[in-house]
Amino acid sequence: MPSLVSASSTSLQEEPALYAERPEWNDVTPLSQYEDAAPIAPIFYSAEYKDATDYFRGIVKTGEKSERVLQLTESIIRLNPAHYSAWQYRYETLLALDSPVDVELKLMDELAVSFLKTYQVWHHRRLLLMLTRKPAPELKFIAASLKVDAKNYHTWSYRQWLLAFFNDDDLWAGELDFVDAMLTQDVRNNSAWHHRFFVVFQSGLREGETDRARIIRRELTFVKQNISLVANNPSAWNYLRGILDTKDLPYSRVEEFVRPYALTTHDSTTDLVDLENPPPPPGAQLPCPAAIEFLADIHEKEGGKDRILLASELWRSLADEHDMIRKKYWEYRIREALKRVK
Amino acid sequence: MSTAPSSKSQLAIPLHVSYIKALGENKDDLAYHLTSHLRLNAVYWGLTALCIMGHKDALDRQETIDFVMSCWDDEAGAFGAHPDHDAHMLSTLSAIQILTTHDALDRIDIPRVVEFILSLHQPSGVFAGDSFGEIDTRFTYCAVSALSLLGQLHVLDGEPMERTINYIVRCRNFDGGFGSCIGAESHAGQVFVCVAALAILDRLDEVDVETLGWWLCERQLPNGGLNGRPEKLEDVCYSFWVLSALAILDKIPWIDADKLTEFILSAQDAEGGGIADRPGDMVDVFHTLFGVAGLSLLGYPGLVDLDPVYCMPAEVIEAKGLRKPWKALERRHA
Repeated sequence: MPSLVSASSTSLQEEPALYAERPEWNDVTPLSQYEDAAPIAPIFYSAEYKDATDYFRGIVKTGEKSERVLQLTESIIRLNPAHYSAWQYRYETLLALDSPVDVELKLMDELAVSFLKTYQVWHHRRLLLMLTRKPAPELKFIAASLKVDAKNYHTWSYRQWLLAFFNDDDLWAGELDFVDAMLTQDVRNNSAWHHRFFVVFQSGLREGETDRARIIRRELTFVKQNISLVANNPSAWNYLRGILDTKDLPYSRVEEFVRPYALTTHDSTTDLVDLENPPPPPGAQLPCPAAIEFLADIHEKEGGKDRILLASELWRSLADEHDMIRKKYWEYRIREALKRVK
Repeated sequence: MSTAPSSKSQLAIPLHVSYIKALGENKDDLAYHLTSHLRLNAVYWGLTALCIMGHKDALDRQETIDFVMSCWDDEAGAFGAHPDHDAHMLSTLSAIQILTTHDALDRIDIPRVVEFILSLHQPSGVFAGDSFGEIDTRFTYCAVSALSLLGQLHVLDGEPMERTINYIVRCRNFDGGFGSCIGAESHAGQVFVCVAALAILDRLDEVDVETLGWWLCERQLPNGGLNGRPEKLEDVCYSFWVLSALAILDKIPWIDADKLTEFILSAQDAEGGGIADRPGDMVDVFHTLFGVAGLSLLGYPGLVDLDPVYCMPAEVIEAKGLRKPWKALERRHA
């Protein structure tokens, strides 16, 4: 949130004149906020903000929808992008004036960079997109925003909305490459992993994606390769788990892959490059707690006394050494599993 | 030589109380987080924090009620964040929470507020925040909590209820968590609102307790703090979002309570009072509430019980017969 104390230096106005000082605004009666109530949670206004919002209240009262209202709402938004009333009124004004939406979008491009964490910027974009019906350029815009803040929740959520709302095969077509690029930048970006899951498993069947068995193999290979690049990556392990859970596949399918990651030392006895089971990267910190957990889950799911005991040993090692902060959770897993064995 | 613990290892209640009281006295360095679109919410945060610290009367009851009523938007039939602001779901819930805590619900025009809330119910089942149309599972929680506190949950009976629950369920992700809307990433804040809404609606059967409980306890970082999603930074507010979800699922024991307590306490401002998002950062009333709320759920001595579903004093919720199954840690004695 921008500080209300500092004057906006991003204003497009050449002179920093208050609306109260502009003759062309003489016909509007500014309305102050009601300040008589208890000064609990007070507001510290800059003169600029107070002036702009006083005039905003003035034109809301008269219901004016004009070009200068666009100018006024822009002033307010630049000072306080979370002022939802200003956004709402701006949108209504754009509609009333039948303003060129492309121009508005360009302005939003500029504001989005400064105010990425503010929901209203993204919601306003949604409304504009529903008017323009031109989603393709948005993908580039979103990618550019993510360069600034790669994990911004609103930005990713907006991309998901765009893809689902327009549901155009051409829009979906580039997504896997896009996620790949984002993960190449930062393989620990949970938002990117989530987005991949959304694109691959939660958006229906599209042309070229109908061979689900092939898709599953492809995704398993993808996530395993990424784990073999950076082993201690919770998002990747969650993704692996997610594929198997969603498709009801046995965890044992990846037992051979997981095992080396749960060992204390690298197994350097083999030179074979196993594409199906890419090993931990050299220098990786082993054992990988997520792998120990996964192996324990594999044993638990296989069932039977021996396997459950193996699982318990693994959970014990997590509780006592490799993931002590969740000691109580691992002890819970041991207790529950042993109950079933008895 | 004195071995008294430093103020960093204790909750400095008197300091936080005076910090919140001082919010009524125009301190520049606190104003950064207090803009008009949050003002009513800020009053709720401040009041609730005071209640949990046992100092409910530190803010004048009548003045508070008067301020809430000054936020009434008579055109919409609900509450805005500040006088002359348009009604919004968030501020409407805050108003109801404040008036409930102060036993002044009789001031509200309940039918009009119910109408406002219902007007924001979307065909998909989610609620919008305002007529601008922002949708988010947060607003589902606000709607459900508000109606519940007003004793009007029955207005959703039948198809509207099914639609509401169905939308939440569709926000459930492969990791057991919930997002802000269908397809969105699991996020601790969204997990809280979805789980708490399901609790109010008696539909916790829709939660995969084991998987979500595990996802929630995975939020704890080595420094004891909690984050909101994998590979993000710890933040004191997650001490509430994550912890309350765990309380509702009766899984608080799964996290390391001592380390989390230490983390929250280390984010206090030992001089001016208030709690920040993490140690060393600037404090604000939002993080002060959620830090204190988290400590209450962790059984910190000297605090009042908090209901995690409503994020209000437990005895207020119990008196209204709204208590749902949840479990906090036992209150320790100093």
